[in-house]
Amino acid sequence: MTERTLSGRAAVAGIGATEFSKESGRSELQLAAEACLAAIRDAGLTPSDVDGLVTFSADVNTEIAVARETGMGELRFFSRVEYGGGAACGTVAHAAMAVATGQAEAVVCYRAFNERSGHRFGQANASTRGATAQGLEFSWHLPYGLATPAAWVAMSARRYMHAYGATSEDFGRVAVAMRRHAATNPAAWFYERPISLAEHQESRWIVDPLHLLDCCQESDGGVALLVTTAERARDLPHRPAVISAAAQGTGREQYMMFGYYGDDDLTTLPAMGVVADRLWRDSGLGPQDVQTAILYDHFTPFVLYQLEELGFCGRGEARHFLADGGIEIDGRLPVNPHGGQLGEAYIHGMNGIAEAVRQIRGTAANQVPDVTNVLVTAGTGVPTSGLVLSGS
Amino acid sequence: MHEELTALAARLAALGEQPAPEPPDAVNEAMIRNWRQAMGDTRDWGDAAPPAMAQVWSMPGLVPSKGASAADDVLRVLNGDGFTGVVATNCEHVYDRPVRLGERLRATARFGSVVGPKRTAMGLGYFVTWYQSWYVGEERVAEMLFRVLKFQPVKRRPKGKPPLPAVGLDTEFFWDGARSGELRIQRCGECGELRHPPGPMCPACNSTKRDHLVARGRGTVYSYVVHHHPPVPGRTPPYVVALVELEEGPRIIGNVLGVDPSEVSVGMAVELDFERIDDEVTLPQWRPAGRPAPAPAPPPERVSDWPALELPLTPTFIISTALATRDFTPVHHDVALARAQGSADIFLNILTTMGLVQRYVLEHNPEADLAGMRVRLGAPAYAGDTLVLTGTREGDTVTVRGTVALGDHVNATVALR
Repeated sequence: MTERTLSGRAAVAGIGATEFSKESGRSELQLAAEACLAAIRDAGLTPSDVDGLVTFSADVNTEIAVARETGMGELRFFSRVEYGGGAACGTVAHAAMAVATGQAEAVVCYRAFNERSGHRFGQANASTRGATAQGLEFSWHLPYGLATPAAWVAMSARRYMHAYGATSEDFGRVAVAMRRHAATNPAAWFYERPISLAEHQESRWIVDPLHLLDCCQESDGGVALLVTTAERARDLPHRPAVISAAAQGTGREQYMMFGYYGDDDLTTLPAMGVVADRLWRDSGLGPQDVQTAILYDHFTPFVLYQLEELGFCGRGEARHFLADGGIEIDGRLPVNPHGGQLGEAYIHGMNGIAEAVRQIRGTAANQVPDVTNVLVTAGTGVPTSGLVLSGS
Repeated sequence: MHEELTALAARLAALGEQPAPEPPDAVNEAMIRNWRQAMGDTRDWGDAAPPAMAQVWSMPGLVPSKGASAADDVLRVLNGDGFTGVVATNCEHVYDRPVRLGERLRATARFGSVVGPKRTAMGLGYFVTWYQSWYVGEERVAEMLFRVLKFQPVKRRPKGKPPLPAVGLDTEFFWDGARSGELRIQRCGECGELRHPPGPMCPACNSTKRDHLVARGRGTVYSYVVHHHPPVPGRTPPYVVALVELEEGPRIIGNVLGVDPSEVSVGMAVELDFERIDDEVTLPQWRPAGRPAPAPAPPPERVSDWPALELPLTPTFIISTALATRDFTPVHHDVALARAQGSADIFLNILTTMGLVQRYVLEHNPEADLAGMRVRLGAPAYAGDTLVLTGTREGDTVTVRGTVALGDHVNATVALR
């Protein structure tokens, strides 16, 4: 290997998903198997062509169970990525490294759960779960009733509002944009159900300063992505979404959603900064070179943080950047044309990667014109990951 | 119920002194020796009995006596109306004269009063007071006041306790501190770097030598949220969770208590408070600076005219003193039963608390005799804890304070003569 880079060596050649619902009526393993099979077929391959699997540490479907159900046969590569939704783009990064180094030929990345009808992440964490590193982290927060992801984000959001004069309406404009996009995406849960800023403001408090409509929905469903080498992808049916850059990152003093200590001032996402640096460096691109961005939107405030962290605007300026429809489909940077997790579905960020692939292919429900490069990010407030996907 | 209770109390009080079951034994050397050994009492009493033993002479032992206490009817009415909780709050002795070996005591009981309903920390309750007196012939030699709070146990929190912190080797110093009224912040034993949350290795210099400082307990709200939804065990919404920046630098999460959520703001000054969740867990908490504490403050520094008496409360100590005072109530010797009744462990009985206060006072005032003791009872003194007695004397009055990990176990005023 002459050049130590992953850039351009691998591509996403197939995408697959189940329907997105509030109650799938099927086991999580069935959702995973269905999504994986759909991604394999979308790539023009068969299960026996797949020799690697990557998923989230949080996923309950083991690689061997998924391989058994789909008839993949033997696996030669499997790995898992930690830290909740921060894993999403990391699964593709692991798969890309595997195919680029010859450890595997075709790797499927998947995430499937009944997150609405089964275990809901949005409910209060009622136990610290023992004196493990994570249990001890929880122990500084849960006993005080700081027990939900919405609350953990809200703590940062309040400080951001204080520091930059951002308002609840600024957060609301993110929700309005996402629901506008979902309204014209037939796959979205909130298809044909846009909201107004007034509706956002009138929605009930979840954790002040976050309203209900600042929080993404909870969904049942599965999404899978097939990753292979860029060369092979060019021989498969769809225009490859070439991985120009893939990155994982943590901040200097990283916690799981509790970036409240040390040098953190609650107005930045240091892990995303680490990811951004690498994405722009490895792809040789910058914010001006992407036509659309898929930004992880479990809660609206962190979309503002990400616009700043990724260099689309300066610190504290995101509220101006997204004013007047700035992140809507016809704005200066269309963000989440599928409607994001606020509008389409919450599949832990994997549905956003699928959307990025569709934007490259030119097959999205809300297609942005002339897409060459798409930026994708994963879960925020946790160790995270990102991708730049390109059409050539 | 209140009218019924008031009428009953009036009837009982009008009865005045009534004969109580006769003390089974004359004042005798064996019981005194047994009692003194259990208490660690070293005074030479000659042919007198230690005055704190007054009630011991009337204790029935393992076989309950047939006679009823003066307050039994009142307690029954209260139990029937949901005031099922009971906690002893006061025990007061008056010693008219020492009793001597061989004397046979006669006992009487007298109803005192029922006062309430009062809102207390335990819940809505009535204070019930009654008396016991001891005579030799017609001469009264001692009297005891006993007061309990009968309360309606409050449903403390609508949905159980908040999640309890997991405690590990690297964090137990913090929770130990909180339980004893200190907010402890880890300090590197090498470079002095302060750090919260704490951990095993200093990120600045990699030392594993650890130390802590006790925070002064002042800070400002760096950020905060008001939780509304979903329901969280042990918390009633809307409630405030704040990230507090301490004067010392580090930040820490806590609730801001005793404040309307709309009054909280970034930059607001707050002061340390504590919220006791159970015997194991106390949470450092916050309230607006300059407002009186709604909850009892952590114990201030002890002051004492004499060296503190530190008594490790071993199971043997708790059980042997209970039996030496002829108190066979199972919560003083049966761990499983004590726990089943909601206690953390077996605990010291009141007759022993009285004996220990007497011992401490007389050890440091050997020339004095006791005229009486008034004791206010507080937190239980559980096995495994340490009871620390301190005291001060002014004229013929000695004030004794006994603390355990949970706070004050006893505050006593002792009259000398």
